[in-house]
Amino acid sequence: MSGQAVCPRHYAALAATPIVDVMKPSTQDTVIEARGVSFAYQARSGSAKTPHVAVRDVDLTVRRGELYALLGTNGAGKTTMLEVLEGHRPAMAGRISVLGGDPSDRRHVRPRMGIMLQDSGLAADLTVRETVALAGAISGRRDDVDKVLEHVGISHRSRTRAAQLSGGEKRRVDFAMAIWGRPELVFLDEPTTGLDPASREALWSVVDELKSDGTAFLLTTHYLEEAEKHADRVGLMHAGSIRRQGTLGELTEGGVSTIRFVPPEAVQGLPLPLAGTENGLAVIETRDVQRDVAALLAWAAGHGHVLRRFSVRESGLDDIFRTLGRRPEGQEGKNK
Amino acid sequence: MNAIAVAEAKMLLRNRLVTSCAILFPLAFGVFLFASRDPHKPSGDIAGVQAVLMIAMGTYVTATTTLAARRQTLFLKRMRGGTASDLEIIAGILLPVVLVSMAQIGVVFGVLGSSDPPANPLLLIVAILLSEAMFASLALTTAGFSNSPEHAQYTTAPIFLVSTGAAVWFQAKSLGGPNAVRRALPGGAMAELVSTAWNGNGGSLVSVLSLLAPSLAWTLAGVLTARACFRWEPRR
Repeated sequence: MSGQAVCPRHYAALAATPIVDVMKPSTQDTVIEARGVSFAYQARSGSAKTPHVAVRDVDLTVRRGELYALLGTNGAGKTTMLEVLEGHRPAMAGRISVLGGDPSDRRHVRPRMGIMLQDSGLAADLTVRETVALAGAISGRRDDVDKVLEHVGISHRSRTRAAQLSGGEKRRVDFAMAIWGRPELVFLDEPTTGLDPASREALWSVVDELKSDGTAFLLTTHYLEEAEKHADRVGLMHAGSIRRQGTLGELTEGGVSTIRFVPPEAVQGLPLPLAGTENGLAVIETRDVQRDVAALLAWAAGHGHVLRRFSVRESGLDDIFRTLGRRPEGQEGKNK
Repeated sequence: MNAIAVAEAKMLLRNRLVTSCAILFPLAFGVFLFASRDPHKPSGDIAGVQAVLMIAMGTYVTATTTLAARRQTLFLKRMRGGTASDLEIIAGILLPVVLVSMAQIGVVFGVLGSSDPPANPLLLIVAILLSEAMFASLALTTAGFSNSPEHAQYTTAPIFLVSTGAAVWFQAKSLGGPNAVRRALPGGAMAELVSTAWNGNGGSLVSVLSLLAPSLAWTLAGVLTARACFRWEPRR
């Protein structure tokens, strides 16, 4: 990633004119609406002179009570896109509406949203309790520190200084600050990185609980199974743009599922073409699981074969994910 | 801003290394200058150097280092995710640093003034407040060029050396040299103003204004440069 803006432009204290063109959300239920959003990092002096375009012409909508997962390869622009929508960076092109306004509006919009950054930014010399209380004090929302700490399962470390926390504990403190006061919208940037499986489960149960109350979430993660399990809609980013987005069903529709089994001695006469073998297993690709499984089992029964370690794997996000970077340029239209 | 200032004060006082650098060093310098003063000379002579040296160290260096540290750990970025404005965040971080520095000046000047009280306490207070403002604004600018707290050790050196040098230049009258240059340097006019307020000599309105002007100009320059150069996040 190339540099941030050189000298000027980042002291927005007294010159906070939004570059973003704020628009009216299309429906009452729309929490985030972004159209044609782009962002580029300024080239750092001494390095390449061209700015690095991190986000290119992205459209994205998140509705009330919905969890939208932004997935993508490393450096795809997920965090940058999130930071633009959080109001941390001004979009350089396009229109944005977050909770009906400009996300950098700290007076009106910020009190309604919680942000969990990818990197902690915890003050080493403050305790967990002080850290969460400070974030709460400037959140514009009310809540009870001890209840929030309890909620995310970090109350036993309440009086510990941030410097002494493990990576997973820091992540829970970050999460506590984001959900303080039950905001209407929560940004989660790789929330479960560094968490053990039990802590991940605990975090997701809090997310699900808030979601059922109507809180909307915009999430980035590298754990595809988390997105498959919890996301209502998924956007797949690559090289700054969203290549595909939709529900899990829409994205995996028409995808290739695979059937695997240990091939019997005599493989001649298999009713379906073999795609290959993998660790001694025959692999058959199919777009119609029911029909092909039936055909295969009928064939096996008819010939007296036993198909050991027989399994069917439905196409998932990882299959789509692997093809993300492969699309030739020019064919990369947004697929909604 | 209150919540940020309280948190910042805790951070300032909790870390032993930071506490000793930010609190004990300036105080030690003030005491050292007091102890090594010539008791036959008017107290105002030493008060000027004390004020500039203590504020340059206590406010300028500490504030620059603190801002660089808060940026490096992404604390500034996190604070900007809430409802506090940029100005409130900066004020919250600077307030404890400035208050500690003023308390130190209060202690040292209290001792100095117990035998020879200042002739013009009001002007003395104005001078101290202006010094704090000037060094705080210069700290904002310097922080814009300091990538890390370690880096701030070097980036603060020029202004620290020039301002304390100008104050010593004023005190050591035997050094001579052009008054205009000395007063134009940050800290030069300040030392003279503190001294004038204390000793009560040459206190005509015009001369006082001519001593206030350079520090005001430096304060303004610091704020304007900071507006252009201050960074909230580390470069990446």
